[in-house]
Amino acid sequence: MDFQTALAFSLPIGVGIAAIGSAFGLGRAVGSAMEAIGRQPEASGKIQTAMIIGAALIEALTIYALVVFFILQGKIGG
Amino acid sequence: MLSYYSYLLAGVATKLMPYISVAVAEQDAGVHYDSSAAAEAGHAVGTTEHGAHAEHSGPPHLPSLLTYVRYWIGADTDTAHFLELWINPIFAFLVAIFFTIVAIYVYSKRQMIPGRLQNFMEILVEGAYNFLQTILGNHARTYLPFLGTLFFYILALNFLGIIPLGHSPSTNINITASMAILVFLYAQWTGIRRLGVGGYLDHLAGQPRDTVSWVLVPIMLPMHIIGELAKPLSLSLRLFGNITGEDVLVAAFVVLGVSALSFVHSPVGLPLHIPFILLGILLSTIQALVFSLLSTIYILMMLPHEEHH
Repeated sequence: MDFQTALAFSLPIGVGIAAIGSAFGLGRAVGSAMEAIGRQPEASGKIQTAMIIGAALIEALTIYALVVFFILQGKIGG
Repeated sequence: MLSYYSYLLAGVATKLMPYISVAVAEQDAGVHYDSSAAAEAGHAVGTTEHGAHAEHSGPPHLPSLLTYVRYWIGADTDTAHFLELWINPIFAFLVAIFFTIVAIYVYSKRQMIPGRLQNFMEILVEGAYNFLQTILGNHARTYLPFLGTLFFYILALNFLGIIPLGHSPSTNINITASMAILVFLYAQWTGIRRLGVGGYLDHLAGQPRDTVSWVLVPIMLPMHIIGELAKPLSLSLRLFGNITGEDVLVAAFVVLGVSALSFVHSPVGLPLHIPFILLGILLSTIQALVFSLLSTIYILMMLPHEEHH
Protein backbone atom coordinates (compact mmCIF):
# COMPACT_ATOMS: atom_id res chain seq x y z
CA MET A 1 0.00 0.00 0.00
CA ASP A 2 1.56 3.31 -1.01
CA PHE A 3 0.92 6.50 0.95
CA GLN A 4 -1.73 7.72 -1.50
CA THR A 5 -3.87 4.66 -0.88
CA ALA A 6 -3.30 5.01 2.83
CA LEU A 7 -4.42 8.64 2.71
CA ALA A 8 -7.47 7.84 0.60
CA PHE A 9 -8.51 5.25 3.19
CA SER A 10 -7.65 7.12 6.34
CA LEU A 11 -8.78 10.70 5.62
CA PRO A 12 -12.52 9.98 5.39
CA ILE A 13 -12.28 7.61 8.34
CA GLY A 14 -10.52 10.31 10.35
CA VAL A 15 -13.23 12.86 9.59
CA GLY A 16 -15.84 10.25 10.50
CA ILE A 17 -14.23 9.48 13.86
CA ALA A 18 -13.98 13.19 14.64
CA ALA A 19 -17.64 13.56 13.71
CA ILE A 20 -18.61 10.75 16.10
CA GLY A 21 -16.88 12.55 18.97
CA SER A 22 -18.50 15.85 18.07
CA ALA A 23 -21.89 14.19 17.78
CA PHE A 24 -21.68 12.85 21.35
CA GLY A 25 -20.54 16.24 22.64
CA LEU A 26 -23.23 18.13 20.74
CA GLY A 27 -25.89 15.69 21.87
CA ARG A 28 -25.00 16.24 25.51
CA ALA A 29 -24.69 20.03 25.14
CA VAL A 30 -27.91 20.58 23.22
CA GLY A 31 -29.81 18.08 25.36
CA SER A 32 -28.79 19.85 28.56
CA ALA A 33 -29.65 23.23 27.02
CA MET A 34 -33.10 21.96 26.06
CA GLU A 35 -33.63 20.65 29.59
CA ALA A 36 -32.58 23.99 31.01
CA ILE A 37 -34.93 25.87 28.67
CA GLY A 38 -37.73 23.52 29.65
CA ARG A 39 -37.08 24.22 33.32
CA GLN A 40 -36.66 27.98 32.83
CA PRO A 41 -38.33 29.15 29.62
CA GLU A 42 -37.79 32.82 30.50
CA ALA A 43 -34.00 32.39 30.34
CA SER A 44 -34.10 30.77 26.89
CA GLY A 45 -32.24 33.65 25.20
CA LYS A 46 -29.20 33.45 27.45
CA ILE A 47 -29.15 29.66 27.38
CA GLN A 48 -29.37 29.66 23.62
CA THR A 49 -26.41 32.05 23.29
CA ALA A 50 -24.28 29.95 25.60
CA MET A 51 -25.37 26.79 23.79
CA ILE A 52 -24.40 28.21 20.40
CA ILE A 53 -20.95 29.16 21.70
CA GLY A 54 -20.43 25.72 23.16
CA ALA A 55 -21.74 24.02 20.04
CA ALA A 56 -19.35 26.08 17.91
CA LEU A 57 -16.39 25.13 20.08
CA ILE A 58 -17.31 21.44 20.00
CA GLU A 59 -18.01 21.40 16.30
CA ALA A 60 -14.71 23.15 15.56
CA LEU A 61 -12.91 19.89 16.36
CA THR A 62 -14.65 18.12 13.47
CA ILE A 63 -13.92 21.11 11.29
CA TYR A 64 -10.21 20.76 12.09
CA ALA A 65 -10.38 17.19 10.80
CA LEU A 66 -12.18 18.48 7.70
CA VAL A 67 -9.48 21.14 7.18
CA VAL A 68 -6.80 18.47 7.41
CA PHE A 69 -8.82 16.54 4.82
CA PHE A 70 -8.79 19.56 2.48
CA ILE A 71 -5.08 20.12 3.00
CA LEU A 72 -4.10 16.52 2.29
CA GLN A 73 -6.69 15.95 -0.44
CA GLY A 74 -4.32 17.18 -3.14
CA LYS A 75 -1.83 14.44 -2.29
CA ILE A 76 -4.32 11.63 -2.97
CA GLY A 77 -5.19 12.22 -6.60
CA GLY A 78 -3.44 10.53 -9.46
CA MET B 1 -20.28 36.07 -29.10
CA LEU B 2 -23.60 34.33 -28.58
CA SER B 3 -21.90 31.53 -26.72
CA TYR B 4 -20.52 34.01 -24.20
CA TYR B 5 -24.00 35.28 -23.47
CA SER B 6 -25.13 31.71 -23.05
CA TYR B 7 -22.25 31.37 -20.57
CA LEU B 8 -23.66 34.23 -18.54
CA LEU B 9 -27.20 32.86 -18.72
CA ALA B 10 -25.95 29.45 -17.80
CA GLY B 11 -24.17 30.91 -14.81
CA VAL B 12 -27.44 32.37 -13.56
CA ALA B 13 -29.04 28.97 -13.92
CA THR B 14 -26.05 27.05 -12.54
CA LYS B 15 -27.37 26.75 -9.06
CA LEU B 16 -30.94 26.16 -10.22
CA MET B 17 -30.38 23.81 -13.13
CA PRO B 18 -27.01 22.15 -12.82
CA TYR B 19 -26.59 20.77 -16.30
CA ILE B 20 -26.59 23.81 -18.55
CA SER B 21 -23.31 25.43 -17.71
CA VAL B 22 -21.57 22.09 -17.79
CA ALA B 23 -22.95 21.44 -21.25
CA VAL B 24 -21.97 24.89 -22.51
CA ALA B 25 -18.55 24.61 -21.02
CA GLU B 26 -18.13 21.24 -22.67
CA GLN B 27 -19.04 22.56 -26.10
CA ASP B 28 -16.56 25.38 -25.92
CA ALA B 29 -13.79 23.67 -24.04
CA GLY B 30 -14.00 20.77 -26.47
CA VAL B 31 -14.60 18.16 -23.80
CA HIS B 32 -16.82 15.37 -25.06
CA TYR B 33 -18.62 12.56 -23.36
CA ASP B 34 -17.22 9.13 -22.82
CA SER B 35 -18.94 6.25 -21.15
CA SER B 36 -17.62 7.24 -17.73
CA ALA B 37 -20.26 9.89 -17.23
CA ALA B 38 -19.53 10.77 -13.63
CA ALA B 39 -15.88 11.37 -14.20
CA GLU B 40 -16.65 13.52 -17.22
CA ALA B 41 -19.20 15.61 -15.35
CA GLY B 42 -16.72 16.27 -12.58
CA HIS B 43 -14.11 16.96 -15.21
CA ALA B 44 -16.38 19.46 -16.94
CA VAL B 45 -17.09 21.36 -13.74
CA GLY B 46 -13.37 21.39 -13.08
CA THR B 47 -12.79 22.69 -16.60
CA THR B 48 -15.30 25.47 -16.11
CA GLU B 49 -13.61 26.60 -12.97
CA HIS B 50 -10.00 26.27 -13.99
CA GLY B 51 -10.07 27.50 -17.54
CA ALA B 52 -8.15 25.85 -20.32
CA HIS B 53 -5.85 23.76 -18.15
CA ALA B 54 -8.29 21.11 -16.97
CA GLU B 55 -6.17 19.85 -14.10
CA HIS B 56 -8.21 20.37 -10.98
CA SER B 57 -6.65 19.92 -7.59
CA GLY B 58 -8.47 20.54 -4.37
CA PRO B 59 -12.20 20.60 -3.76
CA PRO B 60 -14.61 21.29 -6.64
CA HIS B 61 -16.27 24.68 -6.93
CA LEU B 62 -19.20 25.84 -8.98
CA PRO B 63 -18.46 28.38 -11.71
CA SER B 64 -18.92 31.99 -10.70
CA LEU B 65 -19.36 35.30 -12.49
CA LEU B 66 -15.60 35.72 -12.82
CA THR B 67 -15.35 32.30 -14.48
CA TYR B 68 -17.51 33.57 -17.31
CA VAL B 69 -15.66 36.86 -17.44
CA ARG B 70 -12.46 34.82 -17.79
CA TYR B 71 -13.92 32.86 -20.69
CA TRP B 72 -15.18 36.06 -22.26
CA ILE B 73 -11.76 37.72 -22.34
CA GLY B 74 -9.96 34.48 -23.14
CA ALA B 75 -8.77 31.95 -20.62
CA ASP B 76 -5.04 32.29 -21.26
CA THR B 77 -4.60 36.06 -21.10
CA ASP B 78 -2.87 37.82 -18.23
CA THR B 79 -6.12 39.40 -17.06
CA ALA B 80 -7.74 35.97 -16.83
CA HIS B 81 -4.91 34.66 -14.70
CA PHE B 82 -5.16 37.78 -12.54
CA LEU B 83 -8.89 37.19 -12.07
CA GLU B 84 -8.32 33.53 -11.23
CA LEU B 85 -5.72 34.45 -8.64
CA TRP B 86 -7.63 37.34 -7.09
CA ILE B 87 -11.18 35.96 -7.17
CA ASN B 88 -11.58 35.97 -3.38
CA PRO B 89 -10.36 39.53 -2.71
CA ILE B 90 -12.42 40.77 -5.67
CA PHE B 91 -15.66 39.35 -4.28
CA ALA B 92 -14.76 40.48 -0.75
CA PHE B 93 -14.11 44.00 -2.01
CA LEU B 94 -17.36 44.00 -3.98
CA VAL B 95 -19.24 43.21 -0.77
CA ALA B 96 -17.32 45.84 1.18
CA ILE B 97 -17.90 48.51 -1.48
CA PHE B 98 -21.60 47.64 -1.66
CA PHE B 99 -21.97 47.91 2.11
CA THR B 100 -20.04 51.19 2.21
CA ILE B 101 -22.12 52.76 -0.55
CA VAL B 102 -25.42 51.68 1.03
CA ALA B 103 -24.32 52.90 4.47
CA ILE B 104 -23.12 56.28 3.19
CA TYR B 105 -26.25 56.72 1.08
CA VAL B 106 -28.62 55.92 3.95
CA TYR B 107 -26.62 58.06 6.38
CA SER B 108 -26.56 61.09 4.11
CA LYS B 109 -30.29 60.80 3.35
CA ARG B 110 -31.43 60.15 6.91
CA GLN B 111 -34.67 61.76 8.10
CA MET B 112 -36.75 61.93 11.26
CA ILE B 113 -39.48 59.90 9.57
CA PRO B 114 -37.47 57.10 7.99
CA GLY B 115 -38.05 55.86 4.47
CA ARG B 116 -38.16 52.22 3.52
CA LEU B 117 -34.39 51.66 3.19
CA GLN B 118 -33.57 53.65 6.31
CA ASN B 119 -36.16 51.70 8.24
CA PHE B 120 -34.61 48.44 7.11
CA MET B 121 -31.11 49.54 8.09
CA GLU B 122 -32.35 50.74 11.45
CA ILE B 123 -33.92 47.35 12.08
CA LEU B 124 -30.59 45.65 11.29
CA VAL B 125 -28.53 47.97 13.48
CA GLU B 126 -31.03 47.87 16.32
CA GLY B 127 -31.16 44.08 16.19
CA ALA B 128 -27.39 43.88 16.38
CA TYR B 129 -27.34 46.41 19.22
CA ASN B 130 -29.97 44.56 21.26
CA PHE B 131 -28.11 41.30 20.78
CA LEU B 132 -24.78 42.83 21.83
CA GLN B 133 -26.40 44.41 24.85
CA THR B 134 -27.34 41.02 26.28
CA ILE B 135 -23.63 40.12 26.34
CA LEU B 136 -21.65 43.34 26.69
CA GLY B 137 -24.17 45.39 28.68
CA ASN B 138 -23.15 49.03 28.84
CA HIS B 139 -20.18 48.54 26.52
CA ALA B 140 -22.41 47.48 23.63
CA ARG B 141 -22.51 50.93 22.02
CA THR B 142 -18.68 51.12 21.91
CA TYR B 143 -18.19 47.84 20.09
CA LEU B 144 -21.33 47.86 17.95
CA PRO B 145 -19.68 49.37 14.84
CA PHE B 146 -16.94 46.76 14.67
CA LEU B 147 -18.88 43.65 15.70
CA GLY B 148 -22.07 44.52 13.82
CA THR B 149 -20.15 45.20 10.62
CA LEU B 150 -18.26 41.95 11.12
CA PHE B 151 -21.51 39.98 11.38
CA PHE B 152 -23.19 41.44 8.30
CA TYR B 153 -19.98 41.33 6.27
CA ILE B 154 -19.38 37.64 7.05
CA LEU B 155 -23.04 36.89 6.43
CA ALA B 156 -22.80 38.48 2.98
CA LEU B 157 -19.53 36.65 2.23
CA ASN B 158 -21.11 33.31 3.17
CA PHE B 159 -24.29 33.93 1.20
CA LEU B 160 -22.24 34.76 -1.90
CA GLY B 161 -21.47 31.06 -2.16
CA ILE B 162 -25.16 30.18 -2.33
CA ILE B 163 -26.55 32.80 -4.72
CA PRO B 164 -26.11 32.13 -8.45
CA LEU B 165 -22.96 33.54 -10.08
CA GLY B 166 -21.41 34.07 -6.69
CA HIS B 167 -18.28 32.68 -5.09
CA SER B 168 -17.86 32.74 -1.35
CA PRO B 169 -14.57 34.44 -0.35
CA SER B 170 -14.75 32.68 3.00
CA THR B 171 -13.77 29.46 1.22
CA ASN B 172 -10.25 30.92 1.23
CA ILE B 173 -8.34 30.69 4.48
CA ASN B 174 -6.53 33.98 3.89
CA ILE B 175 -9.79 35.94 3.97
CA THR B 176 -11.00 34.32 7.19
CA ALA B 177 -7.53 34.52 8.76
CA SER B 178 -7.30 38.24 8.03
CA MET B 179 -10.61 38.84 9.80
CA ALA B 180 -9.59 36.64 12.74
CA ILE B 181 -6.24 38.41 13.09
CA LEU B 182 -8.07 41.74 13.06
CA VAL B 183 -10.33 40.51 15.88
CA PHE B 184 -7.28 39.26 17.78
CA LEU B 185 -5.45 42.60 17.48
CA TYR B 186 -8.59 44.54 18.39
CA ALA B 187 -9.17 42.39 21.48
CA GLN B 188 -5.55 42.85 22.63
CA TRP B 189 -5.76 46.59 21.98
CA THR B 190 -9.01 46.74 23.95
CA GLY B 191 -7.33 44.92 26.83
CA ILE B 192 -4.32 47.23 26.88
CA ARG B 193 -6.49 50.35 26.64
CA ARG B 194 -9.08 49.32 29.21
CA LEU B 195 -6.82 47.60 31.74
CA GLY B 196 -3.59 49.51 31.16
CA VAL B 197 -0.30 47.78 30.35
CA GLY B 198 0.11 46.57 33.93
CA GLY B 199 -3.45 45.32 34.16
CA TYR B 200 -3.07 43.60 30.80
CA LEU B 201 0.04 41.73 31.95
CA ASP B 202 -1.76 40.97 35.22
CA HIS B 203 -4.65 39.54 33.21
CA LEU B 204 -2.27 37.41 31.14
CA ALA B 205 -0.58 36.14 34.32
CA GLY B 206 -3.93 34.96 35.67
CA GLN B 207 -4.29 37.80 38.24
CA PRO B 208 -1.94 36.50 40.96
CA ARG B 209 -3.06 37.68 44.40
CA ASP B 210 -1.70 35.11 46.85
CA THR B 211 1.42 32.98 47.14
CA VAL B 212 0.04 29.94 45.35
CA SER B 213 -1.01 31.87 42.28
CA TRP B 214 2.36 33.72 42.20
CA VAL B 215 4.09 30.36 42.17
CA LEU B 216 1.81 29.27 39.32
CA VAL B 217 2.60 32.36 37.18
CA PRO B 218 5.40 30.68 35.16
CA ILE B 219 2.80 28.08 34.10
CA MET B 220 -0.19 30.37 33.74
CA LEU B 221 1.52 33.06 31.63
CA PRO B 222 2.53 30.78 28.70
CA MET B 223 -0.84 29.06 28.91
CA HIS B 224 -2.73 32.32 28.61
CA ILE B 225 -0.51 33.53 25.77
CA ILE B 226 -0.99 30.26 23.89
CA GLY B 227 -4.72 30.52 24.57
CA GLU B 228 -4.82 34.02 23.13
CA LEU B 229 -2.89 32.90 20.04
CA ALA B 230 -5.16 29.88 19.55
CA LYS B 231 -8.26 32.09 19.35
CA PRO B 232 -7.65 33.60 15.89
CA LEU B 233 -6.49 30.19 14.64
CA SER B 234 -9.70 28.48 15.71
CA LEU B 235 -11.86 31.40 14.52
CA SER B 236 -10.40 31.37 11.02
CA LEU B 237 -10.28 27.58 10.68
CA ARG B 238 -13.88 27.22 11.85
CA LEU B 239 -15.29 29.70 9.34
CA PHE B 240 -13.09 28.43 6.52
CA GLY B 241 -13.85 24.76 7.17
CA ASN B 242 -17.58 25.22 7.53
CA ILE B 243 -18.11 27.35 4.45
CA THR B 244 -15.72 25.32 2.29
CA GLY B 245 -17.39 22.12 3.39
CA GLU B 246 -20.81 23.53 2.60
CA ASP B 247 -19.81 24.79 -0.86
CA VAL B 248 -18.03 21.56 -1.72
CA LEU B 249 -21.10 19.62 -0.61
CA VAL B 250 -23.34 21.66 -2.94
CA ALA B 251 -20.85 21.32 -5.81
CA ALA B 252 -20.53 17.57 -5.26
CA PHE B 253 -24.29 17.13 -5.44
CA VAL B 254 -24.52 19.30 -8.55
CA VAL B 255 -22.01 16.94 -10.17
CA LEU B 256 -24.00 13.95 -8.92
CA GLY B 257 -27.25 15.40 -10.27
CA VAL B 258 -25.64 16.02 -13.65
CA SER B 259 -24.06 12.61 -13.91
CA ALA B 260 -27.27 10.85 -12.83
CA LEU B 261 -29.01 11.86 -16.06
CA SER B 262 -26.02 12.12 -18.37
CA PHE B 263 -26.53 8.65 -19.89
CA VAL B 264 -29.69 9.89 -21.65
CA HIS B 265 -27.93 13.18 -22.63
CA SER B 266 -30.58 15.17 -20.78
CA PRO B 267 -30.22 18.97 -21.04
CA VAL B 268 -30.79 19.44 -17.29
CA GLY B 269 -29.61 17.45 -14.31
CA LEU B 270 -31.52 16.39 -11.26
CA PRO B 271 -31.73 19.20 -8.67
CA LEU B 272 -30.22 16.98 -5.99
CA HIS B 273 -28.42 19.88 -4.34
CA ILE B 274 -31.50 21.93 -3.37
CA PRO B 275 -31.71 20.48 0.19
CA PHE B 276 -28.04 21.25 0.68
CA ILE B 277 -28.54 24.84 -0.42
CA LEU B 278 -31.18 25.15 2.29
CA LEU B 279 -28.70 23.61 4.72
CA GLY B 280 -26.14 26.09 3.43
CA ILE B 281 -28.40 29.04 4.24
CA LEU B 282 -28.72 27.75 7.80
CA LEU B 283 -24.98 27.07 8.15
CA SER B 284 -23.96 30.43 6.69
CA THR B 285 -26.13 32.32 9.16
CA ILE B 286 -24.97 30.25 12.12
CA GLN B 287 -21.30 30.60 11.21
CA ALA B 288 -21.56 34.38 10.78
CA LEU B 289 -23.32 34.51 14.16
CA VAL B 290 -20.72 32.28 15.79
CA PHE B 291 -17.79 34.27 14.43
CA SER B 292 -19.12 37.60 15.67
CA LEU B 293 -20.40 36.06 18.92
CA LEU B 294 -16.99 34.59 19.74
CA SER B 295 -15.34 37.89 18.83
CA THR B 296 -17.71 39.56 21.27
CA ILE B 297 -16.78 37.05 23.97
CA TYR B 298 -13.06 37.57 23.34
CA ILE B 299 -13.49 41.32 23.70
CA LEU B 300 -15.68 40.82 26.77
CA MET B 301 -12.97 38.74 28.43
CA MET B 302 -10.58 41.67 28.03
CA LEU B 303 -12.93 44.16 29.68
CA PRO B 304 -12.48 44.85 33.39
CA HIS B 305 -15.07 42.96 35.40
CA GLU B 306 -15.43 41.47 38.86
CA GLU B 307 -16.04 37.75 38.57
CA HIS B 308 -12.95 36.28 36.95
CA HIS B 309 -12.41 32.66 36.20
